[in-house]
Amino acid sequence: MVNVQNVTFSYTRRTELLSNLSLKLEAGRIHGLLGKNGEGKSTLLKLISGLDFPKAGSIDTLGFNPIKRNPAMLQEIFFLPEELPQLTSSIENYEKVYGPFYPNFDSKLFNSYLKEFDIDNKKSMLNKLSHGQKKKVFIAFGLATNTKLLLMDEPTNGLDIPSKGQFRRMVASAIDENRCLIISTHQVHDLDSLIDSITVMEKHEIVFNQPIEEITKKLFFRVADRNEKSEGVIYSEDSLRGLYQICKNTTGEESKLDIELLFNAILTEKNKIVKLF
Amino acid sequence: MNTTLDINRLGLLLKRYFIENKQRELTFWGITIVVFTLMHLAGPQEKSISVEMFLYISGFIFAARTFKIFNYTPGGMHYLLIPATHLEKLTTAILLSIFYYFIMILITYSLGTILGTTIGNFFFGSNNPITFALFRSWSDTYAISYAPMNLLNKFIFFAGVQSVFILGSIYFKGNAIGKTFLSITALSILLVLIELFLLKITFGTYHLDGQMINLSINSEQGFLSWLSIASEIFAYALIPFFWIVSYFRLKEKQV
Repeated sequence: MVNVQNVTFSYTRRTELLSNLSLKLEAGRIHGLLGKNGEGKSTLLKLISGLDFPKAGSIDTLGFNPIKRNPAMLQEIFFLPEELPQLTSSIENYEKVYGPFYPNFDSKLFNSYLKEFDIDNKKSMLNKLSHGQKKKVFIAFGLATNTKLLLMDEPTNGLDIPSKGQFRRMVASAIDENRCLIISTHQVHDLDSLIDSITVMEKHEIVFNQPIEEITKKLFFRVADRNEKSEGVIYSEDSLRGLYQICKNTTGEESKLDIELLFNAILTEKNKIVKLF
Repeated sequence: MNTTLDINRLGLLLKRYFIENKQRELTFWGITIVVFTLMHLAGPQEKSISVEMFLYISGFIFAARTFKIFNYTPGGMHYLLIPATHLEKLTTAILLSIFYYFIMILITYSLGTILGTTIGNFFFGSNNPITFALFRSWSDTYAISYAPMNLLNKFIFFAGVQSVFILGSIYFKGNAIGKTFLSITALSILLVLIELFLLKITFGTYHLDGQMINLSINSEQGFLSWLSIASEIFAYALIPFFWIVSYFRLKEKQV
């Protein structure tokens, strides 16, 4: 679905933002793109959608070269940016104007998503809505377009706590084997039990890209007592409840993935983690 | 799927413009009718120049705002991701900034003229005829010998100005009007310098003191008509030239 090959990108001549980056993303999955600020997550999403052009390397998005911004590709992509555009139209008019550009747009689905987000008045002007409400409208619209590729940059930023749960439910129900969703976020807890694979960017490179099932097969997540002697611990974090640890999974027993812990472990013990995969 | 120019998508882009700018359009054209009405209240004095000034100035402000959406990154991202080709997006901009704008000026001008003259006659007890000076050519209007400027010529000149400002709006990020003006000024100065340089190397002087006129009169008629046709072709060709440059600029636009 998305194939990024040896891509290099920079906004200025001196500093490279992405360096020789390669990544392959499959359909039927929700990919979590994680990384610290300024690592190039949003840039990678822009490159995939054709908003920026790589300086070197190639990108294949849905079988198209994204820099051509072919309408056949664009009608199968929906990009939810972190910062939303200021549009002077009502929700109703937004649907009327942009819905027909997407051949699989489902108006009923859009209405049901809006209802789930408690947005009842479609006559509301988009520029008069709060950031969170506007985000809900765009999330609902994006899911209702039924595009093959959905790119979401910090989708839960600005959403209230109940809406984050609604967002997770909606996304989980909207993704099928033909669709691919890439979520770039800092708020890893919002992705709990939602994503199918984790991609971590560090120092402008992809340092980790694995499906959840593979992660839980190779790594064991647990909370240990401070006095407990533990062997095979790769990474450990102290907390009120005890020691949050990641160990090598030697027994094959499954544990609940802690995305934040894994992310921190990759940043501090990258070699040890990567070596296991 | 047509990946070059699809009429349906073009229609959707136009619909998008009118839905998103409905309020602004209604307000602007309403004000325009009022302006033209007020202009014609006082009587049948020649208004063509004022109307044309209004057409060109308001026109290039409108054209310079064509790709204003790129001043704001999320807006630019949203625009570039609309599933339509660059050609369709540019064609929409040309249709709106040149054809639609010119036609709307003609309509509002006609309405303003009719309303202004009628109201003026009613209130001031005059009996002025309704005359549409904008539709007449300059040579009919003025005793001094301007080159004939009929409505088609006026439209072509307008299209040229608009095309430059459309290009300016996509080329410059922020304050497209000012930057386009500066660019035109810089280009004009450069052309004058080139002209002076050519004069110097050809005739050894920077000014000919009327010799050029004599040179033209004494030249062969065939050469003169050829020169006139060539300059007209050049003027016409400039408009699509600006469109082509705008197209490639839009195609290469990154946000």
